[in-house]
Amino acid sequence: MKLNCRSLIADCRFERPLRKLSGFLVTLVLAIVPATNIFAADAAADFSSANELYAKGKFAEAAAIYEGILRTNGLSASLLFNCGNAEFKAGHLGKAIAAYRRAELLTPGDAELRANLAFVRTQVQGNTLRESRWRNWAGALTLNEGALLTAVLFWVAMGLLTVRQIRPALTPKLRAATRLVIVFVIFSGTVLVLQAANHFASSVAVVTDGEATARSGPFDDAQSAFTAHDGVEMRVTDRHDDWVQVSDGSGRIGWFSKKQVEVSPGA
Amino acid sequence: MRIITKVWLMLVAVALANGAVLAASFTSSLDRDTMTLGEQATLSLKFEGVQPQDAPAIPHIDGLQFQYVGPSSSFSFINGQTSSSVTYSYVVTADREGQFTIPGMRANVGGQMLTCGALRLIVTKVNAPSAADVATGKDPAFMKLSLPRNKVYVGEPMLGRLELYLRDDVQGINGFQLTSSPTDGFQAGKASEIQGARRRSQVGNRVYTIIPLSLPLTAVKSGQLTVGPFTANVMVGLPSSNQGGDPFFRQFFSQTEQKQVALTTEAINVESLPLPEQNKPANFTGAIGNFTMTATAGPTNVTVGDPITVRVQISGTGALDSLTLAPQDSWHDFKTYPPTTKQENSDQFGFQGTKTFEQIISPENSDVHEIPALSFSFFNPDDGQYHTLTQPAVGLTVKAAGSTPLPNLANSKPATQENQPAQDIGPIKEKLGTLSLNSTPLIAQPAFLAMQGVPVLAFLAAFVWRKRTDNLANNPRLRRRRAVAQLMANGFADLKKYAAANQPDEFFATLFRLLQEQLGERLDCPASAITENVVEEHRILRNAPPDVRDALREQFQLCNQARYAPVRGTSELNSVATQFEKLIGQLQELKA
Repeated sequence: MKLNCRSLIADCRFERPLRKLSGFLVTLVLAIVPATNIFAADAAADFSSANELYAKGKFAEAAAIYEGILRTNGLSASLLFNCGNAEFKAGHLGKAIAAYRRAELLTPGDAELRANLAFVRTQVQGNTLRESRWRNWAGALTLNEGALLTAVLFWVAMGLLTVRQIRPALTPKLRAATRLVIVFVIFSGTVLVLQAANHFASSVAVVTDGEATARSGPFDDAQSAFTAHDGVEMRVTDRHDDWVQVSDGSGRIGWFSKKQVEVSPGA
Repeated sequence: MRIITKVWLMLVAVALANGAVLAASFTSSLDRDTMTLGEQATLSLKFEGVQPQDAPAIPHIDGLQFQYVGPSSSFSFINGQTSSSVTYSYVVTADREGQFTIPGMRANVGGQMLTCGALRLIVTKVNAPSAADVATGKDPAFMKLSLPRNKVYVGEPMLGRLELYLRDDVQGINGFQLTSSPTDGFQAGKASEIQGARRRSQVGNRVYTIIPLSLPLTAVKSGQLTVGPFTANVMVGLPSSNQGGDPFFRQFFSQTEQKQVALTTEAINVESLPLPEQNKPANFTGAIGNFTMTATAGPTNVTVGDPITVRVQISGTGALDSLTLAPQDSWHDFKTYPPTTKQENSDQFGFQGTKTFEQIISPENSDVHEIPALSFSFFNPDDGQYHTLTQPAVGLTVKAAGSTPLPNLANSKPATQENQPAQDIGPIKEKLGTLSLNSTPLIAQPAFLAMQGVPVLAFLAAFVWRKRTDNLANNPRLRRRRAVAQLMANGFADLKKYAAANQPDEFFATLFRLLQEQLGERLDCPASAITENVVEEHRILRNAPPDVRDALREQFQLCNQARYAPVRGTSELNSVATQFEKLIGQLQELKA
């Protein structure tokens, strides 16, 4: 492949710069591919060592390693799930819920994940946000799964419409199927819009700072509004610099510093 | 308001005119120089002839607390001499008995440095009222502390009782506050009134209303311990001693005066005993009180790995909060999960009620035939003995399940466990899965959104193509025009080919046929009906430009001449073909 590239550019008057560029690209590819594998191997090794620590009951140490992998190597549903478990066992309800919520964005249908999240939520004291039924229902698919499903249905619908234009004789046979697919497209598109609105326009803050005091304004000296326990989830209603305004399950409104809470998308 | 201001200014002006305004001064005073612990005194800082901007700061004095109340001002005009003053008041309370000195203070008012003298305040200890004082009803209120016994064990909870006695002429109380409640060696809870337990009782010569309060106490160390003396402060409303006037009206308009009363109790010595080491059961976990136990387990017909719920209820009197269930050593054939607890108190202090432990266990092999006997030990302070409660073993039928995995409590819901809440989180996952750095949702990625335009464009292209096809199918003239245009394109190539091959017969035959086809399409008549006469006869050609008509005639004549005097030579034929091509172009532009 390298030789072919060279022969193709041999007659070009920009031979030297192109040769340099192709050499650079080949080197880059050769460097990136093994590096990616090395990082993945490191992450897998760290993951296994964290699992061993978890099995030995060293939950805080395991959680620290899981979080390290999340920071440096990216995220996966299993990693977030285990991180949530370790944080819960280490007594950090808020961090556990935040990790589970992030995992839920990737695999909302995971029964173990849902069970663990539900269990941890039962341990939280105080008024916490309860997702409405339709949000739970709309959250059965990830946003990406919803987008892919809608896209596939959309392509099928447009394909059927296109075939009907090219081969009008098939129109009677395709009519029912086309209508059905269009209905599905409208339905899944509506769900996708609701999911997207929930994801982008709505955020949830989880208290991760033990017992956190909400302020009446976005500054440290503001009067105390109310206190929320570790793990309480609240709807984010506003943001200002490093502060988020939240509304808790009983409708109380207050400002938390971003150090006290972890904000995640609504679904 | 404006009038008052004018009067005020006038008085000041008069005073200044007379030069009789008093010199500035700063004095301090206490409304009493001796008070009992729990009482309050008032400190007044008075400025005469000057108006400070803020209240002076009081220096810190160990054992005394100062609470700023507010300012008050006065103005006097007597015999031409005016005086004005501002007084700042502070409430003084003491934390302990002793002799205190409030030092002299300095204040800078308008650049003028003023000083006041030091004050002395003696705080004396309050003694519990003597039996004689109680009997004669000397005090409008007093307080008593009592404990259920003077000997306790470390960890044993008990309820102290604090009773507030109010003489029958007390018309109300306000601001009851415990100022000191020493409970050395005890862990004390919050004192609270026992609801519905107020009563009236004769004490000596007077009738008192008794308000009882409970104080939860738990001994945390052994040895001689002391509870109290408790001190408190309360404002009581008493009938005013200065009530002149008609007795008839007095009964309707009786006046009360508020009196501050400092209360104190006797101290009580308590002997705290360590728990005996003798006969202490191995599974004793510190439960002190008097308890009963019930236990249930189910289901009892299971497969290896199935969960069994063991529910243990411990009821009675004692420190329920700290009650724990000892690990059951005989459960070695079971996988156990951490128990959950639920506590239901029947009193407000958590000293009486039921604590329920729910533990999930699952048999690890089919050789298990029973859930072993379960035991719980506690120390009963009433008889000073350890007691062990035991529930008998429960028979169990365990079926082998081959490779049946241990239950995943978070995931599985066996039929017998459907209504059971989860006991713990599920286990961790062994595989990392695919790591992803990009968490941007697809619908926020431009490439994904752009890709959705592909089927739309395909559909639009098919739609336009369909429209064009339908238009063509429904328009015979258009269809003929296109067919003729195609025929002309092919015909021009044939003409050039015949010209190059010098084949005049084929050349002119083709040329004539093409001319007929083009004119037939333009004039909307059959091609076979086209002759040279149409140039003069048909309306469209009559209205055509003269050069077109001339060219047409020329082409027809060339075709006729070729039959009799054939044109020879490739160049001549090419010239004719070029002219013909130009003519066809002009004809195609004619309006049909």
